[in-house]
Amino acid sequence: MLIFTLVKGVPARTTNVVSVGGVLRREEMDLVMNPHDWKAVEAADYVRRVVGGKTIALTMGPDAKLAPILSRLYDAEVFGADEVYILSDRLMAGADTLATSYTIGRGILTIVEKHTKALEQLLGLAESGSPDECRALASRLYSENLLPNKVFSTLPTVRDSLIEKFVSGRIGRQDLLSGLREAIQVTNNFVVVSGIKSTDGETGSVGPQVAEALSESLGFELPHATYVDDFAIVPSSLTITCERKLGRLVQKMEMKAPAVLTVSADYSARRSDISNLLTVRLMSFRGKMREPKKLNAQEIGAETGRIGLAGSPTIVGPGIDIGKPPVQKIVNKSLVFYDDVDSITWNDRTFGPFQKGDLAESLPSQLIEDLKSKAKVGVFTLDMLAEELFV
Amino acid sequence: MNQTEEYRDVWVYTATEKDGLPKNSQEVIAAGRIVADKLGQKLVAVMLGPSLGSSPREAIEFGADRVLAIENEDLEDMLNLKYVDLLHRLAVERRPYAFLFVADELGKDIAPRLAYRLKTGLATDNIELDVGSFTNPRANETYKDLVIQIRPDFGTRVAKIFTPKNRPQMATIRPGNFKPLTRDSSRKGEIEQLRLQVNDDYGARVTALAEMPPPKVDLRGANVVISLGLGILKDGKGQPRDPRTALQMAEELKREIERRYGIKAEIGVSRALLYAELKELEGLISVENQVGQTGATVSPDVYIALGISGAVQHVVGMRRSKKIVAVNTDPRAPIFQIAHYPIVGDLYEVLPEILERVRSIGRKN
Repeated sequence: MLIFTLVKGVPARTTNVVSVGGVLRREEMDLVMNPHDWKAVEAADYVRRVVGGKTIALTMGPDAKLAPILSRLYDAEVFGADEVYILSDRLMAGADTLATSYTIGRGILTIVEKHTKALEQLLGLAESGSPDECRALASRLYSENLLPNKVFSTLPTVRDSLIEKFVSGRIGRQDLLSGLREAIQVTNNFVVVSGIKSTDGETGSVGPQVAEALSESLGFELPHATYVDDFAIVPSSLTITCERKLGRLVQKMEMKAPAVLTVSADYSARRSDISNLLTVRLMSFRGKMREPKKLNAQEIGAETGRIGLAGSPTIVGPGIDIGKPPVQKIVNKSLVFYDDVDSITWNDRTFGPFQKGDLAESLPSQLIEDLKSKAKVGVFTLDMLAEELFV
Repeated sequence: MNQTEEYRDVWVYTATEKDGLPKNSQEVIAAGRIVADKLGQKLVAVMLGPSLGSSPREAIEFGADRVLAIENEDLEDMLNLKYVDLLHRLAVERRPYAFLFVADELGKDIAPRLAYRLKTGLATDNIELDVGSFTNPRANETYKDLVIQIRPDFGTRVAKIFTPKNRPQMATIRPGNFKPLTRDSSRKGEIEQLRLQVNDDYGARVTALAEMPPPKVDLRGANVVISLGLGILKDGKGQPRDPRTALQMAEELKREIERRYGIKAEIGVSRALLYAELKELEGLISVENQVGQTGATVSPDVYIALGISGAVQHVVGMRRSKKIVAVNTDPRAPIFQIAHYPIVGDLYEVLPEILERVRSIGRKN
């Protein structure tokens, strides 16, 4: 099974964001991996441990900036991602969630197709080719990490790959063909996991929109679930059962792969059952490919009018500062009226009316001194604060 | 292709509950009302569910001009794809000018998918809405009568989002930012009942739907919110302090306020404090206490921010509070820009003093 994790490079510090005309300049900032995405990495890892396959981290943005961040996904042999793809193209810059989801949807399908095409190529050869020819092709595709161990493997722990059994005459050609067709089917039943949202845009829209983008291309409605707190996957049927929050309700859903899951900040992966280890190994691939692969707009077959700024219906206008409150009273400093005063006539000018607690600071300083001496005005005290707040 | 003139009316998606229209739905109607009035268009409340009861009538009383009510037993399970399909069918057929949702789990689940299917923009988590024109500096084109979607941005700012060309202009609004209109039982409006069938062949099904126990902390219903931030870890001299001390003091203040003034108070926390996952506070604070962009948006009569610097993510969750008191040792903390009562000082000294005043005033009365 192909397990996609959507990851994003976000500004390391929200105080130093470079934005030109509402478009973030990621290439000019220090980026880190969106913290919510680690939950998605954890979820993808769980799926791989239960059903086998490989985890593919997919991201979009300037590849030179993203590659070092994503290399962290390779740090541990038994965690993180097996492969990393970066969708990177000048044309993809300035995308809002609609354009982003379209691009990511194209990216996912391009990668899925790459795997199904490899299997189809082997299937085509297997229809009439000699066992040695089949093995040579399988060996090449396997080195490119495109075939599961079940089809071909060089691992010492896997002796009975389909190709080996075919070469040694333990299975016939028809068995090989049906085995390959089954592998194609499994490849088409992929899973996409994303974090709840990014810490920069904070929309949380990309998960459900990627499900819709995939539905648009595949011609059927791919199920999705957001705010997933817990999920399990059944290896035999690739059925996903999940639990998600929905206001005051908890909804339990069951869905078939291909599907998209957005895991919540509270998600933590279930423990996997190791009794299934052999099957998991057979369904898995060669291992980690440590060099991130880059795909541009043309390689994913994206329409240029639907990606980047051109494909984005929303425009971010200029940012505005949140306004100050009109009145600010500082304890032990601000001068305020101690009583209600209807009006004050002073040097032929009239001021007022004032209420108890009103600021007196805009009055002429001599008048203030005068009022202070009469104890009509004085500094704002903590007592007054408590009274204004609660009484 | 610019066919925006064929689109009209402001739609709001209003969720319903057994006992009527929930507060979030009243708020989205209020938000839609602002936009519809400025545009001179009708406000249409769209509601789906197995049985809607008095909700359509209530939507009119809370400010809708028209209600599209779709009752269908198959909607009982709340499967997201059913909702997306029905709303998509309606929107394609009737072409609304704008379509607003609440930024809750339901809205954030279905609105993005619907926006993609309609090939339009979605501005999420808006805290204000307005109507105005927008000139795109890159293309030097001006668009009139756009919904101005205002949402939190980086730093201490908010951003205006526009959807100039695509329709409907879609947005989600953050709960707690739009005040429900006063209910008026004499308000007139039209209720249109629609029978729409739902597909039955989705790749997903709902196996259970259960109600959660009510939350222990009701931040949005409180008159006074006393909030704690990471600043509680140190006192004014920079000496480390046990955060439980500050929490106990805040709880003492909460109890005193409740007892003496008969109003409701709750304890809030900033995201920074909650996610610091301090051993000392384990089990004492939870996500139910969290105020801010990822937590609750509150607008109490009094908001007391203790040791909270005031990052915009926190500020958007409380800036509509009527009286904001901020206690912080750093005079440059951004929280002071929005506080009505800024107190530069050590909360470990100020809080006992406030507590003392609350007690003494209570005695006088």
